[in-house]
Amino acid sequence: MKYSYYPGCAQHGTAIDYRMSVEAVFRRLGIELEEVKNWNCCGALHVPDRNVRAALSSRTLASAKGLDIATPCNLCYSNLMRANTALEDATLKNMINGKLTNKYDGNTKPKHLLEVIVKDYGLAKLAENVKKPLKIKAVPYYGCLLTRPENKFDSPENPKSLDNLIFTLGAEPVKYYYKTKCCGGPVLITNEDLALSLAKDLLGMAKESGADCMVVTCPMCHLQLDAKQKAVESKYNIKFDMPIIYFTQLIGLAMGMSPKELGLDKHLVPTDKLVARIGR
Amino acid sequence: MKKETILPETRDTAFRDLILKTPVGEKIPTCMQCGICAGSCPVSHEMDYTPRQLVRMVQLGLKHEVLNSNTIWICTTCFSCSVRCPRGIRPTELMETLKPIAIAEGIKNKNSKFDNIFSDVVKKNGRASEFLLISKYSLSEPGMIKQAPFGLSLMSRGKLPLMPDKMEDVRELDAIFKTGEEKQEKKPESGTKENAETKAEAGEKNEGKAADTGGEAEK
Repeated sequence: MKYSYYPGCAQHGTAIDYRMSVEAVFRRLGIELEEVKNWNCCGALHVPDRNVRAALSSRTLASAKGLDIATPCNLCYSNLMRANTALEDATLKNMINGKLTNKYDGNTKPKHLLEVIVKDYGLAKLAENVKKPLKIKAVPYYGCLLTRPENKFDSPENPKSLDNLIFTLGAEPVKYYYKTKCCGGPVLITNEDLALSLAKDLLGMAKESGADCMVVTCPMCHLQLDAKQKAVESKYNIKFDMPIIYFTQLIGLAMGMSPKELGLDKHLVPTDKLVARIGR
Repeated sequence: MKKETILPETRDTAFRDLILKTPVGEKIPTCMQCGICAGSCPVSHEMDYTPRQLVRMVQLGLKHEVLNSNTIWICTTCFSCSVRCPRGIRPTELMETLKPIAIAEGIKNKNSKFDNIFSDVVKKNGRASEFLLISKYSLSEPGMIKQAPFGLSLMSRGKLPLMPDKMEDVRELDAIFKTGEEKQEKKPESGTKENAETKAEAGEKNEGKAADTGGEAEK
């Protein structure tokens, strides 16, 4: 299995832990990720003009060399998917191609790494790699942009792929009504009060569910729920102490990899209790 | 909520037609005001006008109220409204369509400032560096000083590298960033120019001017 790989900017910054776990797990599973040369930012949600964002993503999609393009980030994934939809407009497609050295035909298929594992690699095959069934309770948190707006890979209302993955790893996916509710990440810098109130709802519901951790698929969700968890706690005077784990880290733990190799020591919310529980 | 009559002269049909001609605008005339967008929105309680109201205001051509509302900047782009709308309207994409128009009209607020810094960093380096973004934004927002412990905590884990990640070659990006401008050049002249600070900062609430957008039910 081989994919063209678009890591996105966060992998070189706040999501260093995600990057470590992706590299370790995919190497072990034998899934090859060939990084796109000289890749550019997708524009996230902050390059305000959507045509510019379509052009940024078209440039990335054009460099996939006939392979599917895989990405670990929900924002990148959604921008790549949306660029394909936007380019169904022939005028826009021509205009964008007029600016690209590598012309884009509109045919590259973007895939989130979760889709690569669950659909392409397959959970049955993944189960064969599980050395240490996790025996914990975990919140499957998908966030917004993995399933919306392009409803191609999983349901935008009640997705199941991450639930199934957690189950395959020997853990219990808890019932969680906010699995696709916004974490507040996009307004973290410009409207912190609003961002923290959204995160509080998610963390509170996770705590209530009795989960040992929340599992995420997006660097922005992780930043918001892990790195900002302390700020939520002090603002609302509640203690959550809820580890936020990337799904690739969860896979790695079930495959018996060391927490350090998976970047768990880079988290702001301590993961040692969780690791101890799994170790038992 | 105080009700005011919408006078014909406050309606800007050129603005309305401009929006209706965009890809997202095509279905806007079909909105039946069911409110599933407002009900699905996780942040509508912070908005001057809910997504439902905003769609109605676009139908009416209330350019000034639409472009000066905090609604388009409060939206977190979660797309909940867009996947549920029974008419297939994507209010999220309406917000995205309105942003560059508001910016072109001179609207400035925290969000447009951050977006501007983000775009500049990407145009120059090809990639977004969290450190550059936060430090540039903090220079113009003194309130950001209280985020310093957050920045330091990220640094302590090696999550905020000071050296920005860069593309090897950014030459294509200048042209790419002009895609937006070219699209905008095609737009017909519309209405009067209104330069005003929007009320995107939390706390400042609009009294609610658009009479028949009827906000009480959702506020």
